[in-house]
Amino acid sequence: MKTARFIIALLTLALGASNAIAQDADQLVGVWEPSHGKARVKIEKIGEKYYGKIVWLKEPNDETTGEPKTDKNNPDPALRENKLRGYRILKDFTFKGEGEYADGTIYDPENGNTYSCTIKMTDENTLDIRGYIGVSAFGRTDVWKRLSIPSKK
Amino acid sequence: MRIDLKYLFTTLALCGVVSFSLAQVEGEEDEEDYSMYDNLDFADGEAKRFCSSKIKGLSPAKLISIGYDVQGAQTLTAGSFAGPLDALGQSQVLSPAETRNIDFSHGLRVAANIPVISRNNIIVQLGANHWSHTYEYSEPAATVLPVDLHQVLEQDGLQTTGINTTVFKPFNEKSFVIFQGSMDVNGNYNWSNFQSPRYATYSAALIWGQRPRDNKQWGVGLSRTYRAGELDYIPVFLFNWTSTGGKWGTELLLPARGHVRYTFNPRSMLFAGFELEGQSYRLNNNLNVDWYGTDFVELRRSELRFRLVYERSIYNFIWISAQAGYRVNYLFDLDQLDGGDEFFRGFFGDQPYFAINELSNTPYFNISINLVSP
Repeated sequence: MKTARFIIALLTLALGASNAIAQDADQLVGVWEPSHGKARVKIEKIGEKYYGKIVWLKEPNDETTGEPKTDKNNPDPALRENKLRGYRILKDFTFKGEGEYADGTIYDPENGNTYSCTIKMTDENTLDIRGYIGVSAFGRTDVWKRLSIPSKK
Repeated sequence: MRIDLKYLFTTLALCGVVSFSLAQVEGEEDEEDYSMYDNLDFADGEAKRFCSSKIKGLSPAKLISIGYDVQGAQTLTAGSFAGPLDALGQSQVLSPAETRNIDFSHGLRVAANIPVISRNNIIVQLGANHWSHTYEYSEPAATVLPVDLHQVLEQDGLQTTGINTTVFKPFNEKSFVIFQGSMDVNGNYNWSNFQSPRYATYSAALIWGQRPRDNKQWGVGLSRTYRAGELDYIPVFLFNWTSTGGKWGTELLLPARGHVRYTFNPRSMLFAGFELEGQSYRLNNNLNVDWYGTDFVELRRSELRFRLVYERSIYNFIWISAQAGYRVNYLFDLDQLDGGDEFFRGFFGDQPYFAINELSNTPYFNISINLVSP
């Protein structure tokens, strides 16, 4: 009986700990604004990984055509007609602990390049997003701020 | 059988979850109401925004560059000069002028610029570069002189090795400052007989600028530079601009360089314009060449390169750059520095040159492979 209680207590602790880790990891979920202020990105958890898509553009329409902006700089011609709003620019991030997310990529629609990327949550409302080529030294860090979404009534 | 069914249902359920997740990831079409993201506030109050160091459509910065530069046939007339004066105020020796033909001149150009701090509120880059330039003469010298600019160029060539830093500091969404500083060791040295840093040249520029729109930035500033071959303090003007639609643009940092840009696509660009290149080279590193006891002879070299440049990505962030153009000599004269101390002649000074040389103009070509910045 004592052994059973001990196992139950251990399982409860383990489940609690894994829930806490999951909650820490899920702090990344939300809507964020890059420092240039030209876009907003919604980060979601799908499966065990995190993805971010553009949900708002300061200038949503193409300046020459007047139509909604598309991914016209994508190196793959088949993807150039995809609308930028709704486009996933952050992909495949996994939580590594202590506010760090790695193994992901970030896509820059302005030049069609995809970079390796790490995310560091410096506080609950601030992200350091570092895109780089090959090694982290060849990269650039941008600071993203969390936006608050009014709760639905 | 019951166990098998459980296994089957579990597998089907897992497959369903996985395929649903994949569909969510891959699918770019969705029914989300995006209007809910129009009016949002920062969760922790107002965030400070800073302007980017780049503008839309600007050509990518080069992190690492390995290139080869070659200039065509040219003729150099090394001017005459007198040796040191004796007690009576007269020179005992006079090196005569000598004209020789050069088949071509060429050299390797290697540079690296690594961002050590790269955040939206400050960017600090450190860099290093090494350029060499050797001269392939058409025929041996008709007469061997004890002191000869031709001898120096033919035997040693010219080397430049330097370190530099660039700091970009934005203050808000529109205003910024750029500081550039560099230290270069220039001369007819080689790796086994490296020139003392005592004879280094120091250049710097400070630019205050504005970035009123995503497709335009401009700035004004002051520079201490050797681009005109000798020490100068000159104003600088920055103007980077990209047209609506992104096909045309300008990349100007006058008077150092200025280009009009045509963009085929973000990975393929053509430029037309010019660059002003120059440095001051110490020529006392070859012990076999005695400048009649003059310890501090410097070659003031400056040239204008009018050119077409084509740059394109060949694999992800590896870009190739090919230049073809015409090199116009601006300055190729010798100065003697009293005690090794640099002096300021500027555009209006009347200090005489140690020797005045004439170098003909020639076509040139440059090709480089580059790792470009995010």
